[in-house]
Amino acid sequence: MKPTARLPAFVAGLGLCAACATAQAQFNFDFNKLLDTAKSLGKAGQAVVKAHQDVGEEEEADIGKDYASLLLGAAPLVRDPDVQRYVNRVGRWVSLHSERPGLNWQFGVLDSDNVNAFSTPGGYVLITKGLLARLKSEAELAGVLAHETAHVVRKHQLNAMRKSATAQAGTDLMSDLATQQGQRYQAAKERLVGGMKEVMLRGLDKGDEFEADRMGVVIAARSGYDPYGLPAVLQMLQHMNPQDSSLALMFATHPDPGARLDALESVAGTRLDPFAAQPEAAERFASQMRSK
Amino acid sequence: MKTRLAAALLLCLSLAPVFAQETGFAVRPTEIRKEPYSDAAILSALPEKAQVRVLARQGAWMQIESGAPPGTIAGWVRMLSIRMGVEQAGGDSGVQQLFNIARTGSSGTTVATGVRGLDKEQIQNAQPNPSELRKLATFAASQADAEQFAAGNPQLKPQPLDYFPAAPAASQR
Repeated sequence: MKPTARLPAFVAGLGLCAACATAQAQFNFDFNKLLDTAKSLGKAGQAVVKAHQDVGEEEEADIGKDYASLLLGAAPLVRDPDVQRYVNRVGRWVSLHSERPGLNWQFGVLDSDNVNAFSTPGGYVLITKGLLARLKSEAELAGVLAHETAHVVRKHQLNAMRKSATAQAGTDLMSDLATQQGQRYQAAKERLVGGMKEVMLRGLDKGDEFEADRMGVVIAARSGYDPYGLPAVLQMLQHMNPQDSSLALMFATHPDPGARLDALESVAGTRLDPFAAQPEAAERFASQMRSK
Repeated sequence: MKTRLAAALLLCLSLAPVFAQETGFAVRPTEIRKEPYSDAAILSALPEKAQVRVLARQGAWMQIESGAPPGTIAGWVRMLSIRMGVEQAGGDSGVQQLFNIARTGSSGTTVATGVRGLDKEQIQNAQPNPSELRKLATFAASQADAEQFAAGNPQLKPQPLDYFPAAPAASQR
C-alpha cells in the first residue's frame, strides 16, 4: 500500500474527531483524574485499576509485594534466619530452572501450624512451618517450591485477581476510586485488598493447580532433584486426616491430593524415571531442620 | 559419643527415611519387584485395591508389605500406583492437638489463643505487615548463592527437560 492512499482516510478521521472534540476533552479530563487517583494509591493500585490490561513486570512485583505483606500480616516469619536462608537457597536454585529466572524471588517460612504454601505475583513464595515440619527431604521441599514457582511463571494469581476484580467491582471500582476521598474511596481501596484476600481464600482454578503440579515435577527434575518429591508430599497430604483443622484452607483451595496424583501420573507416566535417582538430599534437609 | 549418635541418626534417616507404619492401597494391578528398578525381577502381582504397608520410598518406587499374615508379600512397587489411606483416628497429628488445646473453651470460632495460623478468619482479618516484608527481603539468596549451594553435597546437576503436555481428557482417570 502506498502512503498517499491512506491520506484521504486520515483526513476524514480528523473531521470525525473534530465533531466529538468536546466529549474527547471531557473523557481525557476524567481519565487523567483517574490516573492521578491511581498514582496516589501506589503502583499496585494502578495495576489493579487496569486489571483488564496486561500487567507489566514492575506492577506485577508491586501487587505481589502487597499480597505477600497481607500474608505476613496473617502469620509472621519464623524467627530462624538459618532456616529462612536455607529455604531461600533451595527456592532460588529451583526458580533458576523456571522460565522466569530473573524475577526478584523471595522465599519465606511462615510461623503458622497450618499446612500450606502460597505464592504471589512477582516471585514471593511462602511455606508454613506446619508444612515444612512434615517434609522429609529437600527434594520434597523443592517439589513444593517448584509447584509455587510454576504459579508465578504462569501468572495464575494475577489471572485469578483479574477475574475477581472484574466480577466483584468492574467499573464501579474505577468510579469509586475517582472520588479520591470519602467513604466510597475508602471502600474501593478496601476492595483492592479484598480482591487479594478473595483469591487467597477461594484459591486458584483447579486446572491451574494441576498445571502447577505437572510443571513443578519438571522444574524439580531440571534443578537436579528427585522429581518424586512433590508426589511424595501429595501422598503425605492424602495420608493426613482431612478433618485436621490445619489442613482446612489447603483442602478448600486445592483439588483432592488423590486427584492430583492421578493427574500427575496420567501426564508423566514413566517419563520422570530417568531423573528419579537424582538426590533427595534427605540428610541435608534433616540437618537443617534439626538445628532449629 | 555424641558424634556416633548423630552418625547413627543420619544412617537411620538415609536407610528408612519415610513412611513407617503408613498404609495405602493399589489403585490398579501392580507388579511387585525385588528391587526398585523397572528391570528388577518380578516377585508377584498386587491386585487392585490390595492393602499395603508402606516401608520406604526411593525415587519412583515404594517398598511395601502386603498379604496375610502381614509381610507374606513384600517388595517394591511404583509409588504412583499407590494411594495413601487416611491415618487412623488415634494417630491424630500433634498440630491438631495443639489446635484443640488452643480452642478449648471457645465456641469453635478461630479466635486463636496463642496459636498463630493462616485460617480463613485470620486471612480475612489480616492487615499488611511491611516490617515483616522488609525482613523477608534480607533472607533472599542471589543467583550466585544458589549456584554455590547447588555445588555442595549432594551436588545438584541441572538437567534439560521439557514440560509435559496436559493429558487429553479421554486418558485422564
